[in-house]
Amino acid sequence: MTKFLSGLAKGMATTARTMTTHAHTQQYPHVKPELPSRSRGVIALLEENCTSCMLCARECPDWCIYIDSHKETTPPTTEGGRARQHNVLDRFAIDFSLCMYCGICIEVCPFDALFWSPEFEYSTTDIRDLLQEKETLGQWMPTVPAPEPLVPELPQTEAQQLVVDVEPEDDPAAGRTTKRGAGEVPRPGTEEQP
Amino acid sequence: MTTYDVLFTLAGAISTGAAVLAVSTKHLVHSALWLVVALASLSGCYLVLGAEFVALVQLLVYVGAIVVLVLFALMLTRAPIGRSRDHDTPLPQRAAALVVGAATAALLSAVLISAFGNDAITVRGGSTHVLASQIFGTWVWPFELLSALLLIALVAALALSRMPIGRRDDSEADAR
Amino acid sequence: MAGDIVEIVLRAVCVLAAFLVLPLLVGQTEHKVMAHMQGRLGPMEAGGFHGWAQLVADGIKFSQKEDIVPLAADKRVFRIAPALGIVSYLFALAVIPLGPHTVGADVPGSLVWVLAVGGIGTVGTLMAGWGSGNKYSLLGGLRTAAQLVSYELPLILACASFAIAAGSLSLVGIAHAWTPWWLLWQLPGALVFLVAATAELQRPPFDMPVADSELVMGPYTEYTGLRFALFLLAEYAGIVVMSLLLGVLYLGGWTGPFDHQIGWLWTLLKGAIFAVLIIWIRVAWPRLREDQLQRVAWLGLVPLALLQLAITAIGVVVTSR
Repeated sequence: MTKFLSGLAKGMATTARTMTTHAHTQQYPHVKPELPSRSRGVIALLEENCTSCMLCARECPDWCIYIDSHKETTPPTTEGGRARQHNVLDRFAIDFSLCMYCGICIEVCPFDALFWSPEFEYSTTDIRDLLQEKETLGQWMPTVPAPEPLVPELPQTEAQQLVVDVEPEDDPAAGRTTKRGAGEVPRPGTEEQP
Repeated sequence: MTTYDVLFTLAGAISTGAAVLAVSTKHLVHSALWLVVALASLSGCYLVLGAEFVALVQLLVYVGAIVVLVLFALMLTRAPIGRSRDHDTPLPQRAAALVVGAATAALLSAVLISAFGNDAITVRGGSTHVLASQIFGTWVWPFELLSALLLIALVAALALSRMPIGRRDDSEADAR
Repeated sequence: MAGDIVEIVLRAVCVLAAFLVLPLLVGQTEHKVMAHMQGRLGPMEAGGFHGWAQLVADGIKFSQKEDIVPLAADKRVFRIAPALGIVSYLFALAVIPLGPHTVGADVPGSLVWVLAVGGIGTVGTLMAGWGSGNKYSLLGGLRTAAQLVSYELPLILACASFAIAAGSLSLVGIAHAWTPWWLLWQLPGALVFLVAATAELQRPPFDMPVADSELVMGPYTEYTGLRFALFLLAEYAGIVVMSLLLGVLYLGGWTGPFDHQIGWLWTLLKGAIFAVLIIWIRVAWPRLREDQLQRVAWLGLVPLALLQLAITAIGVVVTSR
């Protein structure tokens, strides 16, 4: 009986406490949500990088990428040179009514032509309008956030703490690695530079 | 004819009509609902006569409790929507019921007419206070007797409902 | 004579206005209080400021819906049922006093009146349950009947305790006889009344008849549009009636500072306390099982109400000497 009554009282107390704290609701259309930079909203196309290699279209699990291209021949610039051929992208379209946002196309693109953008407000009243051509896909490019560093940099105070913690006299090697870890990790891409 | 006369006649007519419909309708649940109308308009009769407490108790007990119980029992057992002939009584029984009802009505009206004739009687004593002093003063013993009877009925009903169905010895023997 | 008629019409219009406005206020309070108790905001859009017009919008939506009567239903009973449910609480609200003279109709036995017309609403729910021609509705109707018959007894006993303590069956008389001692003296009775009233209204945690996880919507399963809205309005009008009733019976109605000027405000405030409490209970507690429901009524509330009746009787006899 006391358990029953204390349970009832606890229920009342919990609800009263929740009522006096702030609600968790986000007033979406009035207040835009703060999305993480890696959220999968829409796929943006950087047309200059695309070589029409068709990798994305072939890897797409539900075949929602359409690519048309033709070859053009550039005449040789020097006498006796060889004419070069290159692909010209005629059409690049993603049907977002089919897309399942797996991101495989972005993973497989060897030339960094496709990017995730957190933008998500592109619903339409007609399902056919969800087929976005390369102009529309290109418009998303400004919304693509800058890539995050692969190894997150430690805040300065924390880094100093790490250096202080380790006694260099005991093990010099440990001291070196710790210093290296303290904010001096080479940025991705810099290692390969000659 | 005062307003009260008109209202009383109206309530009485509704009550009678609803009562007739309650026993004559072929829809089982409708007859219980007509009973509600009959009892409610009867309480209207009481109200017109100035006995508002009796009227309200009539509404509270009969409409609020008894008819709800009747409806509950109907729903628990069988309450088909639409006409049903399962519970039709044979013709002789109906005739007998008509004779008994008519005889009772004749007896009552004969008694009332012989007692009061055409005299106008002012009805008094319907108010709550007078009712209370009558029940708990003059008629306290019959009232207490009725309460005891109802209590015994309640206890008996409880005892009956808690009794196991079938003979206990047999079922125990079977279990072994 | 003409003045009398004008007064009667005016009073009727006031009661009708209160009947249409107060339930909406309670409904909006429920929307908001329940939302914040669950860490939400509730309606925020309709009408602009914190969604104040949400229930008006709901009403407009309901009135636009198609009025569907199922083929298997008993059409007349199905159509009349919502009216009965709503009329009973309208009649009840008419006799509840906001002040010593601010009352729709000053009936001598107004307490019995409120309890008596409450029974008509029960019949309305039963008619809805049976007349829908749906097994869920029928089961819901059965549960309604069982629940209301069980909880009417403690409700009436608790009311009887207040009536004995005041020596009057009139709500105005009871509120006049109120003293601050009642807060202690009538506490068990008030508790019994609150629980029984919540059960009578079929509000959670006593919402077995409309338990949506098992019975869809109980007796109201087949209802749509305005008829369904009438049942909803009846539920919230029921909260208004029961809260004001408990405010008048247990907290003395209009008694308070400056009660000559703002007595009606005190009554409304005291009623609002209980309305919020009923909403709070709904949010905080889980639904009772059917057998637990009956157990609470017969083994918990009825003995407690009888005990309260005895305490009240002893108190009246001792103080009247």
